[in-house]
Amino acid sequence: MGDRGLSDSHSLVDAHGDFLYRFALLRVRSPDVAEDLVQETFLAAIQGTYRESGETAERRWMIGIMKHKIVDYFRRTAREPIQNPNQPEGQATDEGFLADGHWKPDPAAMHRWPDKPDKLLDQRQFWDSLAICLETLTPRAAQIFTLREVDEVETEKICELLRITQTNLSVILHRTRKQLRDCLSSRYFGETEESARS
Amino acid sequence: MSRVSRLIFSCQDMARLLSDAMDRTLPLHVRLRIRVHLLMCTLCERYKRQLTLLRDVLRADAAQLRDDGPAQSPCLSTEAKERIRRTLDSHRS
Repeated sequence: MGDRGLSDSHSLVDAHGDFLYRFALLRVRSPDVAEDLVQETFLAAIQGTYRESGETAERRWMIGIMKHKIVDYFRRTAREPIQNPNQPEGQATDEGFLADGHWKPDPAAMHRWPDKPDKLLDQRQFWDSLAICLETLTPRAAQIFTLREVDEVETEKICELLRITQTNLSVILHRTRKQLRDCLSSRYFGETEESARS
Repeated sequence: MSRVSRLIFSCQDMARLLSDAMDRTLPLHVRLRIRVHLLMCTLCERYKRQLTLLRDVLRADAAQLRDDGPAQSPCLSTEAKERIRRTLDSHRS
């Protein structure tokens, strides 16, 4: 059997397979590649030395392995130009602003958000809303946003991995953040504010 | 356009700059102008807090460790799981 503390390989697949698959899919956008990455991650996991116990620690450890695998994957494929810099994706959005550059009056944007994330972390409904909002992004934007905001990859590295310019990246991140803010405001915070008041 | 209004960022400029500021250090004079705008503008100030909250939520450990996506979340197919199990078995000593 494997190293002390690590579940045997079959239950490992049951316990973390779907999670790691989704984790990879969000970043690489290809089911086949995601499956390969899951397999590589499990292989590295059963061959590595793991000394902690508990499913949460195990998962955290496997996420660490998978992040490396994902970066490796981008390195290997960086040669393929992923997008044309003149694509509209590189253009700034005027949505949400008046002609003079002020915010458009938007009732959804007025909803109050909490100051700290603590309260949101345990709320199933919040994560469902967030997942739905992430679904509305283009695959490209979701990938870039995830690398930056979730995986905390530095912008220089993202540009290098995905072969895009800093300006391009900056516009995509700006647009994506705004889109998610708008989506969450109307989808989640709008509703909770009303229910909190009643 | 008046001299003053050229010095002051519009909210539209601000949205882009607040996003940029989360990814790199902006020049001092830009940071100062951002602060001046934030002092005067509650909408931009709120926008900044919302972006920060979104980041904090996503970077909190719990976000990554969550298991269950929405009901229609993609899963590994049964065949894929079987393939992976076989591969893992063949690599076991």
